[in-house]
Amino acid sequence: MLYDLRRADARIKWLVTCLLATLGLSYIFGALMVSLYAGFTPARVAATYAGPEMSMPMPPESTVVVNRPMTMADFAQPEVHTVDTNLLIQDTHVHVPMYGVIAAALGVVVLGLSLRRRWALGLITLLFAAPWLDFGGMWLTKFLSPRLAILTLVGGWAMGAGYLIVAAVAVYQMWWSPKGVAS
Amino acid sequence: MNWIVRAAAIIALLHITPAVVLVKRPEAVQALLPGADAYFAREVHLSDVDAHRLHEVVDWSPEDGVLAFYTGKAGSTIVGALEFVRVDTPHGPIEVAVGFSPDGRIRGVIVTKATVEMKPWVLEAVAGGLTDRYRDLKPGDTPAGAAALAGRTGNLAVYIAGEVDKGVARALAAYGTFYNHVRT
Repeated sequence: MLYDLRRADARIKWLVTCLLATLGLSYIFGALMVSLYAGFTPARVAATYAGPEMSMPMPPESTVVVNRPMTMADFAQPEVHTVDTNLLIQDTHVHVPMYGVIAAALGVVVLGLSLRRRWALGLITLLFAAPWLDFGGMWLTKFLSPRLAILTLVGGWAMGAGYLIVAAVAVYQMWWSPKGVAS
Repeated sequence: MNWIVRAAAIIALLHITPAVVLVKRPEAVQALLPGADAYFAREVHLSDVDAHRLHEVVDWSPEDGVLAFYTGKAGSTIVGALEFVRVDTPHGPIEVAVGFSPDGRIRGVIVTKATVEMKPWVLEAVAGGLTDRYRDLKPGDTPAGAAALAGRTGNLAVYIAGEVDKGVARALAAYGTFYNHVRT
């Protein structure tokens, strides 16, 4: 194959390294954002995406009012960040294309690595399957069962794992493997 | 390379940034229900018919079909009521607190939440006098904060003012239709 990152010009290696570093930085902050707004446990992910919609009763036949006293502390209680259907549609609309572009960029890096065909195919599949699992899990959690929040976690970890594998192998082959250093 | 630059620009434009609290809820409650020493939540669980009625007026349905009003009292005197209304925008959600005086007019409006991206737009709009434009509006009136800011602030401040207008319109419609007109 003509495209081989081990033998590529130093400028291309540097471009790929910068791309991987930038994506790595965004992944770190992505993880921090997940910890702030959704969490890393199935229970917290389920609370975020399943939310009250899972247990929402049918609307009453006539409008009813419930009054209850409030304290200032009640107003100060931290809210569970929930994602309703409208927001999930919006999130899916804006995130999935971005994840596709990132998976494609990492996939292009994979094509330049010296890997067995089946490993390369597996890695590319992982890069694209991870966001599908991530967002598929959110939708299934909302509409099928909160237990399926585990899929979102698996998808998130798979995205991180896919990036780390590609980054580690690419950096090693470009800068440390004998053929890489020689180019 | 051109498509990569374009794709990156589109991603940057579309990505929703994290939410930020501009004013904590307790602070908004104290500002909009001044002097109150007791608070009560009035949760109105809308029937399908009433939810549809509200949707027809302001193109909006509250989350879970429940409108939440908060009433403040000082002793036995009602100080007023307030609502927290969320508006989903293409840039993420904002939350608007709308406080009413006992006579049913708007006492004040506070934007309590936005996103990192929208925060400077909100601050510019508020600095331009946006929230003052809502004072004394009553149910049936149309908020026109965006129109008032047009030409006096940046386009993004005017844009966010339009979103705040939606929140205030929803609060006015909900308050006017359901706050005092449903039996407990």
